[in-house]
Amino acid sequence: MNPTEIPAAGIPWSEAIAALDGGSAPPPAITDAQPLLRHWHPDHSAGGPRRLAVGASAGQDCPAALADLLQADALIDDIDIAGCATVSTEVLVIGGGGAGCIAALTAAEAGAKVLLTTKLGLGDSNTVMAEGGIQCAVGAEDSLQTHFEDTLRGGQMAGDRALVAALVGDGPASVRWLIERGMTFDMEEGQGPSGRLRRKRAGGTRVPRILSFRDVTGLEMMRVLREAAGLHPRITVWNRSPVVELLSDETGGCVGAVIYSLHLHRFVLIRARSVVMATGGAGRLHLNGFPTSNHLGATADGLVLAYRMGARLREPDSFQYHPTGIAWPPALRGQLISEAARSLGATLVNGHGHRFVDELSPRDVVAAAILRECGEGRGVLRDGCVGVLLDTPALERARPGILKTTLVTLCHLAHKAGIDPAREPVPVYPTLHYQNGGIAIGTDGGTEVPGLYCAGEVSGGIHGRNRLMGNALLELVGFGRRAGAAAAAFQPVRPSGRANLGHVQEWRRALVAAGLPLDVKAPVLFPPIAGFDLAADRALGRSDLSARSLEAALQVL
Amino acid sequence: MVNLTIDGRPASVPEGTTIVLAAATAGIALTTNVGCMGQGVCGACRALVRRTGEPEVRTALACETPVEDGMQVSFLDRVAPRRPHAYSETDLVDGWTAYERVLAVFPEAVRCRHCSGCDRACPKGLEVQKGVNLAASGDIAGAAAVFDLCVMCNLCVAACPEHIAPNHLGLFARRLAAAGTQRPADLIRRLHEITSGAMTIDADACTDKQP
Amino acid sequence: MAPEMTTNLVLTAPEHRVGADLDAWLSGSGGLGLRLALETPSGLISLMEAAGLRGLGGAGFPTFRKWAAAAAEPDPEKVVVCNGNEDEPGTFKDVFLLRETPHQVIEGALIAGLAIRARRVVLYVNPHARGAFDAVAKAVAQWQEHPLLAAVGAAVGGPLRLEAMRSPGLYIGGEETAVVSAVEGGFPFPRRKPPFPAASGVGGHPTVINNVETLATVSHIVRHGAAWYRGLGRNGAAGTKLFSLSGDVQRPGLYELPMGTPLSELIFVHGGGMLLGKEFKAVFTGGPSNTLLTRDELDVPMDFESVRARGSRLGTGAMIVVSEGTSIVRKVAEYVNFFAAGSCGQCPPCKTGSYQLAHLLQRIDTGLATRADLDAVEHLCDLLPGSGRCGLIDGAVTVVASSLQRFRSEYEGQLAGG
Ligand SMILES: Cc1cc2nc3c(=O)[nH]c(=O)nc-3n(C[C@H](O)[C@H](O)[C@H](O)COP(=O)(O)OP(=O)(O)OC[C@H]3O[C@@H](n4cnc5c(N)ncnc54)[C@H](O)[C@@H]3O)c2cc1C
Ligand SMILES: Cc1cc2nc3c(=O)[nH]c(=O)nc-3n(C[C@H](O)[C@H](O)[C@H](O)COP(=O)(O)O)c2cc1C
Ligand code: SF4
Ligand code: SF4
Ligand code: FES
Repeated sequence: MNPTEIPAAGIPWSEAIAALDGGSAPPPAITDAQPLLRHWHPDHSAGGPRRLAVGASAGQDCPAALADLLQADALIDDIDIAGCATVSTEVLVIGGGGAGCIAALTAAEAGAKVLLTTKLGLGDSNTVMAEGGIQCAVGAEDSLQTHFEDTLRGGQMAGDRALVAALVGDGPASVRWLIERGMTFDMEEGQGPSGRLRRKRAGGTRVPRILSFRDVTGLEMMRVLREAAGLHPRITVWNRSPVVELLSDETGGCVGAVIYSLHLHRFVLIRARSVVMATGGAGRLHLNGFPTSNHLGATADGLVLAYRMGARLREPDSFQYHPTGIAWPPALRGQLISEAARSLGATLVNGHGHRFVDELSPRDVVAAAILRECGEGRGVLRDGCVGVLLDTPALERARPGILKTTLVTLCHLAHKAGIDPAREPVPVYPTLHYQNGGIAIGTDGGTEVPGLYCAGEVSGGIHGRNRLMGNALLELVGFGRRAGAAAAAFQPVRPSGRANLGHVQEWRRALVAAGLPLDVKAPVLFPPIAGFDLAADRALGRSDLSARSLEAALQVL
Repeated sequence: MVNLTIDGRPASVPEGTTIVLAAATAGIALTTNVGCMGQGVCGACRALVRRTGEPEVRTALACETPVEDGMQVSFLDRVAPRRPHAYSETDLVDGWTAYERVLAVFPEAVRCRHCSGCDRACPKGLEVQKGVNLAASGDIAGAAAVFDLCVMCNLCVAACPEHIAPNHLGLFARRLAAAGTQRPADLIRRLHEITSGAMTIDADACTDKQP
Repeated sequence: MAPEMTTNLVLTAPEHRVGADLDAWLSGSGGLGLRLALETPSGLISLMEAAGLRGLGGAGFPTFRKWAAAAAEPDPEKVVVCNGNEDEPGTFKDVFLLRETPHQVIEGALIAGLAIRARRVVLYVNPHARGAFDAVAKAVAQWQEHPLLAAVGAAVGGPLRLEAMRSPGLYIGGEETAVVSAVEGGFPFPRRKPPFPAASGVGGHPTVINNVETLATVSHIVRHGAAWYRGLGRNGAAGTKLFSLSGDVQRPGLYELPMGTPLSELIFVHGGGMLLGKEFKAVFTGGPSNTLLTRDELDVPMDFESVRARGSRLGTGAMIVVSEGTSIVRKVAEYVNFFAAGSCGQCPPCKTGSYQLAHLLQRIDTGLATRADLDAVEHLCDLLPGSGRCGLIDGAVTVVASSLQRFRSEYEGQLAGG
């Protein structure tokens, strides 16, 4: 079944509300989730994965829409960058989310001169949107080993053990690093700043391990990181400057990138000793027609560029559909309702008022179960939007005041939707949320391409086939630091080599040899809704800008 | 359909649409002044909004504001503080000198003229002025709490005639409070267990899917 | 046409320029106006009406109306404030009057006090205006002991407090409701109108706020009569006007000319024409509402009505001349920046909107803007007016709109992508 074919059949809103009694029986236990996942999870959708024909991961499957981009031609040619302004830096960081800022800070603290270039404004990213929190095994009943095993199991045993061990092992030091930079974490009720950290339980984990700041953990993290990066004397930030291609030397190493300045309407070349790719995820590709929780810039650019240069992919066919995107109204469809609601005890019920899955199962299982309910006609319909119900009124009855004090973001979203969550349930439907796989990395964030490092959601191997809540934020701190340190220390074999589009020429030969079309171009930079057309935008550039005004303009980017 | 004007372009969209989505249909490229697209947390979509029949013009985050008939909307660029209020991580750790540092890094803070422009400008309804005044009088923790839900949209930066950069001051207070005072006992114990070698990971130990 | 060089100087006549010396002032024609006014205080308001005296601080609002409104209020504690805050670029007339002829100004303010039966007269002077406050303070001190002041007090039904105070020296401090806030001792925050100061001003008392130049004119009207005043102007306008001429002309300076003198005469006769080798492009008129006048408008008679008929404003009479080669966009951006910086902060749309305008203009000026940016500028010109409690944001918009109306092609030529 293809989940894009949203069933028109379902139970009308009013009937479903009437069926809601709040005292619903426990859900049926699932002993083996595999059949459910195979039948209902969008990774296995009928539209079908496509097998990659070129590149370092040829032979691997991935969603067709992504495959098109991974096997596309470059946006630019030599002619486009002839005579472009060039700037130099030691470490180039691509992407201004959490991973990018942390890599930049770490590299700069190691003494490197860093240029951070990002597509939107610094911090406008998936990171700032994270609500639930960050995993870190600090509990007395918890251990690094438990966290390690939960992560590996949650990822269906597909994760790279060394990477997972690095992730969880870094956890406590990562949280300390964040606090040292001024990030606040909630403490247990009644405890002062030297008491115990407040912990929540995430789906798929055995003990409460999520640390958070209210339900705006990503906001708290991102504003601290943005300020720290912005104030660091060795970091230069370029906003509105998406990378459109990487630069290679004769050995195939990565030695910089080409950015397109939305401010100047022209390309600028950046030469660097090493490059950290931190461009985040792919939600805005709306794979399989799903809504997404991601920010506007999540278009898989880094994945495409690194792959074109020879980096290998892991689990490129595995995506996380967060079970609880808001299902209605249409203008808000896809926006996230954090797992915190379920961690605190909110249940999911179908149109008959029945629970149908353990709400704290791994996300892929909960999402698949919701799709099953909707696919088999037990979903709830409101203005043509299908979903199931998150029973917030029952939660409020059980723990009065909890919505207002702890689920601020949920209330805010519900308010925008015109729903009072204390009295009305919130309709939910899975939303494309996270790229489980990505570019294959080592424990230092290094890829197969010399000089190219990756950190954050763009990289793969840690979460296997399903990421646990809170492990993405943890990853971007730990691996942001690892990649930043390694990039600062990296010494190229031939330091003064060329920097050009040599790898693109090779790539084109491969595309032609594989019989693939050259008329698909990538990365896409912006989703269609943004209405961005690179060619039209370039036509706005003035050729008569003096070198000096150009330089001055680059300073204020 | 709801009709409105955004940066001089007419838009006609169904009711319930947000201003940001309406802008897209009006042919405005969403390449700047937008980030999270609706969650209202990145602060990129600052706008001035005048509603029909209202003399007042208000600030808003366009991704969370539904369209209304006859609305006029102008997006606002991010206004950077007139000068950076620079400090480094080492400034954050010593609680005894935190107040000195607030005064040294944000000398403008004591000059608040109580115009309330920041309060009126804040799309999140924070008591910005109070936060500024708390920080300026040494109540760092109090100031920090005021800015709990600040999305750093910088509207208060643009609004403040004394160039105080209220949100950056608030963030400084937050960072001072966290870095200077937060010392979680459980985290410290776990760090000790790790550095002393008492807690390790056996990466080969787990082989089964079910716990 | 033979240029009509002005000979009938009133405010700037050499015999009036005696500085802070009260005896010197009273030994000439000084004091006569006040003595006459003391004889028939009840006729003063209609005299101003007959003379056609209008506010010379920029808005041209009929002076008698303000006075009549305040006079009609029963409150005995009325106030007159002489607004000497003059702070915008290109205007330097009030500083001259305050420094060189403080008694001329004080006498006018006392006559206004008589007219409305005020118990307090405040000279509100910009501390940055060189020499002005010292001269005024000295002059006020001399009046304190003088029987004329006591006579005015007796006429208004109680002692009259005459005082000089420093304004906060901020541009916004000149707006009339901001003047009220400042005289009350607070930050010069403008307030919503109504109530207008004439009904409720300083401390809630009815308050007349007049510009320095307006008040300086008053004693002469009392002395010489309405018809004389009307006869001073040209083209049917009344009185004289001080013009602050600056920019790319040979002889910048302060000129007192008949109201209604053509712009070309100010620039090419009195001002000696354009600086060598420069060609006239436009004039920015100064005042709370800045506008532009172009080559096509050189013939405009400089009086409130005629300039308004061309879609511009006379303002304070500041005429800033720019020559070909000057970027209008950049100049306008400078103005808007001035307004943005001067905005008091109370009204976010004023502050943030003017910054946004400045930002867009700077982008256009540096060749980085697109058509969409220009659309955004025009949209702001539509959205912003009236969004503040005072006229500052309207002023910022006026200069942008006026320049767009006259120099649109210059804006368009700067756009990226043509
Ligand atoms: C709504 C939401 C809630 C979440 N909640 C949680 C949670 O509670 N816990 C948790 O652990 N994880 C959570 N996640 C996941 C987590 O936030 C992200 O996986 C993580 O923040 C990714 O960080 P990043 O730095 O790799 O990418 P991002 O934060 O997305 O940053 C990538 C940056 O790169 C920029 N970029 C993209 N393309 C280019 C280009 N071509 N050139 C230059 N720059 C480019 C992007 O615009 C962006 O600024 C959540 C995600 C979302 C969307
Ligand atoms: C922003 C702003 C600034 C002003 N500054 C001055 C000033 O410096 N001096 C002045 O006389 N009038 C100034 N005015 C005009 C006053 O509000 C008021 O109209 C004037 O003082 C009245 O005097 P008049 O009627 O004699 O002109 C300003 C107005 C605005 C809106
Ligand atoms: S405090 Fe300032 S930056 Fe923060 S949300 Fe309010 S206006 Fe925006
Ligand atoms: S805008 Fe600035 S001066 Fe005005 S109240 Fe806020 S902090 Fe104070
Ligand atoms: S787009 Fe992020 S706050 Fe509006």
